[in-house]
Amino acid sequence: MTEKILFVAFGYLALAGGLGTISRKNVVHALLLLVFTFLNVAAIFFLTQAYFLAVVQILVYAGAIMVLFVFVIMLLNLRTFEQEEQTHRRQRWAAAILSVLVLAEFVVVLAGVTFTSAKNGITPEIISQAGGNANVFGKALFNQQLLPFEVASVVLLVAMVGAIILVKREKSAGGAPRSWEPGEQPSPEAVEEEV
Amino acid sequence: MGTTPAEMPIPVDWYLYLSAALFMIGVAGVLIRRNLFIILFSIELMLNAVNINLVGFARYHENMVGQNFVIFVMAIAAAEAAVGLAIATALFRNRRTLMVDLFDRMKG
Repeated sequence: MTEKILFVAFGYLALAGGLGTISRKNVVHALLLLVFTFLNVAAIFFLTQAYFLAVVQILVYAGAIMVLFVFVIMLLNLRTFEQEEQTHRRQRWAAAILSVLVLAEFVVVLAGVTFTSAKNGITPEIISQAGGNANVFGKALFNQQLLPFEVASVVLLVAMVGAIILVKREKSAGGAPRSWEPGEQPSPEAVEEEV
Repeated sequence: MGTTPAEMPIPVDWYLYLSAALFMIGVAGVLIRRNLFIILFSIELMLNAVNINLVGFARYHENMVGQNFVIFVMAIAAAEAAVGLAIATALFRNRRTLMVDLFDRMKG
């Protein structure tokens, strides 16, 4: 019963954080609300007894990836965009209504489905006897999922190299001269010209 | 061993409803907002919704595959964030804006 109450509480907090993320004007506020959502999702992982994943969620998601975002936001000085219109003028209402409709569709479908557990037998009791969540998790990862694990490392390497190449400045081009300084609000004509 | 396996304390449906709601918030964010950063955040929200689903079903089916899969989703999310931010930086450097509807050079 306690688990249910906590699940509902953390679930609603996660949803509130998500709604805040997509509705804030200030990108840094949206990012902080996103971190809040991730922490609540980590709490839900804890409630599901996926302890290792809960820790990874906090360390990697709420920690590393969000620091990356904060760093780039700092680098780009995004405050100038707060005055601009934040939503697509033509499609925003259609998009909102469609999202709610698809959510209603999900709920209707899920309400009519009954699931049967496969009961593979790795219950929390068995896990705690076998040495804890991280132990069982690691054994499964390195025995059954070894090839996908190695492929994931290649994916990360490719992403790293790709990111470096994308941000690297072209030496020969020298960069187009810009008619305003970073941080200054550019005039619409200047934006139009450069675009 | 001796104890009978306890029932799942939280019904698996609840995970599905939560994950569907979080996912649709992410979809709405991608469709409604113009700021490239908010769109990247929304994609992270959607990936997290999928993770909730995977963890819930791993617990329900009493195996580890779902939890292992979450690690791969996180790895792909990290790669996606890195490449997405690199693209955002390159776009901002060349176009001085991050509003996605202004990137329409290839529009016919």
